[in-house]
Amino acid sequence: MLGIPLKYNIRNLFVRKVTTGLTVLGIGLVVAVFLCVMSLGEGLTRVFTASGSENNVLVLRQNSQSELQSGISRDQVPLILTLPGVSPDGDGKPLASAELVVVLNLEKRDGGSSNVTIRGIGEKGMKLRPGLTLVEGRWFTPGKSEVVVSRSVSSRFKDCATGQTIKFGAYRWTVVGLFDAGGTAPDSEIWTDVEGMITDFKRGGYSSVLARTAGRAARDQFQAGLAGDPRLALEGKVERKYYDDQTSTAAPIKFLGFFVGIVMAIGACFGAMNTMYAAVAARTREIATLRALGFSRISVLLSFVFESLCLALLGGVLGCLLGTLAVKLALSGVTGTTNFATFSEVVFAFRLTPALLVTGIVFSLVMGFFGGLFPASRAAFTKITDALRQVG
Amino acid sequence: MKFLPFVLKNLLRKKTRLGLTVGSILLPFFVICLLGTFVAMLDSDPSQGRGMYRLAVRHRVSIANVLPASHLEKIRELPGVKAITPFNWFGGRYVDFSAFNVFERFGVDPNAFFGVFDASSIISGSANDWRRDRSGLLVGELLMKKYGWRLGQTVTLVGDIWPGTYTFTIRAVYQGTDEAAVFFDQKVIDETLPARAGRYTMIWVKAESAGAARALIPRINALFENSSSPVRAETEKEFQNNYIALLGNVKLFFRGLAAVIAVVVLLIAANTMALATRERVVELAVLRAIGFPRHILFGLLLGESGLLALLGSTAGLALYLGLFPKLRAFILYSPLAGLAAGLRVYPDVLATAFATTLAVGLLAGLVPALRSARRPIVEGLRQLA
Repeated sequence: MLGIPLKYNIRNLFVRKVTTGLTVLGIGLVVAVFLCVMSLGEGLTRVFTASGSENNVLVLRQNSQSELQSGISRDQVPLILTLPGVSPDGDGKPLASAELVVVLNLEKRDGGSSNVTIRGIGEKGMKLRPGLTLVEGRWFTPGKSEVVVSRSVSSRFKDCATGQTIKFGAYRWTVVGLFDAGGTAPDSEIWTDVEGMITDFKRGGYSSVLARTAGRAARDQFQAGLAGDPRLALEGKVERKYYDDQTSTAAPIKFLGFFVGIVMAIGACFGAMNTMYAAVAARTREIATLRALGFSRISVLLSFVFESLCLALLGGVLGCLLGTLAVKLALSGVTGTTNFATFSEVVFAFRLTPALLVTGIVFSLVMGFFGGLFPASRAAFTKITDALRQVG
Repeated sequence: MKFLPFVLKNLLRKKTRLGLTVGSILLPFFVICLLGTFVAMLDSDPSQGRGMYRLAVRHRVSIANVLPASHLEKIRELPGVKAITPFNWFGGRYVDFSAFNVFERFGVDPNAFFGVFDASSIISGSANDWRRDRSGLLVGELLMKKYGWRLGQTVTLVGDIWPGTYTFTIRAVYQGTDEAAVFFDQKVIDETLPARAGRYTMIWVKAESAGAARALIPRINALFENSSSPVRAETEKEFQNNYIALLGNVKLFFRGLAAVIAVVVLLIAANTMALATRERVVELAVLRAIGFPRHILFGLLLGESGLLALLGSTAGLALYLGLFPKLRAFILYSPLAGLAAGLRVYPDVLATAFATTLAVGLLAGLVPALRSARRPIVEGLRQLA
């Protein structure tokens, strides 16, 4: 079977500059909208899926979805730490940290307020989270009402720069440093030492205990030990799993992205179909000539589907470009929303991943395929004699 | 007006194209309506103007801190308070933590509840049944539909903030502003967890009048200023705004999306008109040759694109209104369920979307119409060859 040269289609696209341009732009914008919404969802998802370690176990009260809902009393902590499976640190003490989590309503730099998590950590707290780096100032000194703030929180909330004081009711904390957790959960938090915090907030105990285990076997042993002690009524969640479970925060935005994306794609697909129908109609005589020359119906069909795919691909590439520009320029800063599992702000950045870009291109090709199929079949089933008889 | 049949004939010339173009205007129109409805919903006053009468009182640090029951008793004594109920965020889970099974659960005082939320009405079961049964559950109409629950059925919630397994019996169904929530007697929690009894995440107050509400806010705030649990009292509207502000720039995001979608409509309509005029170059030249002036031609073409937009948005409007109950149900079952509760038809949103699409349609026809009207007759006729 002889194929119609691809050049024929590509040249034809450039003959009708305005129509091609408008269709490409239309598809491009639909792809760009889709990418923007999805990169928002992606950025939000990343906060949770990249957070936490496989070897850390987070001990919570049974049935707690988050640390905020959990509570662990002081006398439970030694019982937890003596369970088999917890790794010892170099100094012989267990590598674990009892922590307290409270949310504070702080004022944003751009007006309004939001809840920010303030976390009190034990002396081993830093060691349990090796992904964290100090980018400015120093770590807090326990017992001195000092805090370190994530760089993202610092850029979004008032009074959170190094040297400033966070005031809250009767509480005062001096910011002594900024840290960066690479877009993971601690990037939405403020950290201080747990004992000072318990005193400040008049709490009777902790929210959770984070413990390091040596590996899968030790981890399972530790989790089984917790579950097996009915006096404790606690459960151990793998830290990574704990954050994974909160990804549902991103579900509505992703759903919206798909919903808007698909409805708009059908609309844009209709637009592409219009363009292709017109292309076929304007070239009826040409098509008949091709057929008379001996090109098969299949060749004509494939040829027009190909033309439509090219049109859509141009749109897809333009859409990826527009989407990338929008995310890099207009949406580059960190933004935040509330994680209703923890009732506190999640700080995140839009993330346009290569996988998303590929999805965008595939998305445009699907539009092109359906947009081209029907016009192409009309072209393929043109009656040669009728078409040649036409004038113009 | 006398040209209307002519414009219509031109539009109907290519029925496939007409159908496709109307389709490609109506779908984006649909999305614009939906996004606009979300924004309008976030902007709307939950109490329909009566919000000044109702106050939400919570811990000043954040909603995650609890207030002691003694706060409620002290507020009750203040002048201007008509009704007061604890409003305790239960959290917990129903079946699992998936987005599908997220709805709000509150422990309240059943005897005071309808005094505070007087805009809600019972549509099946009875308030008395709910009050009498300690483990009775009051359920929003939307939730009943979503899960296919019936009166008398039991619903089990597992607590996290308030540990334990709680089994409730559905005793009444209400209609109101937020129909995707359940309410039960706070005493159930207090009895299950005696050590933590009498702690509420919120207290809701109904004031006797708007004036009383305004006076109550500073009074309540001052009352607990130096206690271990300082509070923030605010009107229902303020409370809702603060809650929505937690979501971040959702409104801006939705508006931006809607604007880009309008541009997509513009491109698609402009493309159709460009196609239509290009195919008719000769015809239009003939019209000019037999004496039709430029402005009539311009008007004809502009009318055509306007009519196209009118058709598209009318069809979109009909589709939106026709599908609205289905759409609402669909959203209720989707991860956007949290937004479904307040979803209704906002006439002003639809009007704005309609006007925008029409304007966009006319704008789309402008350039092709101008170009065609300006083209010299000879040049147009020459294309015949």
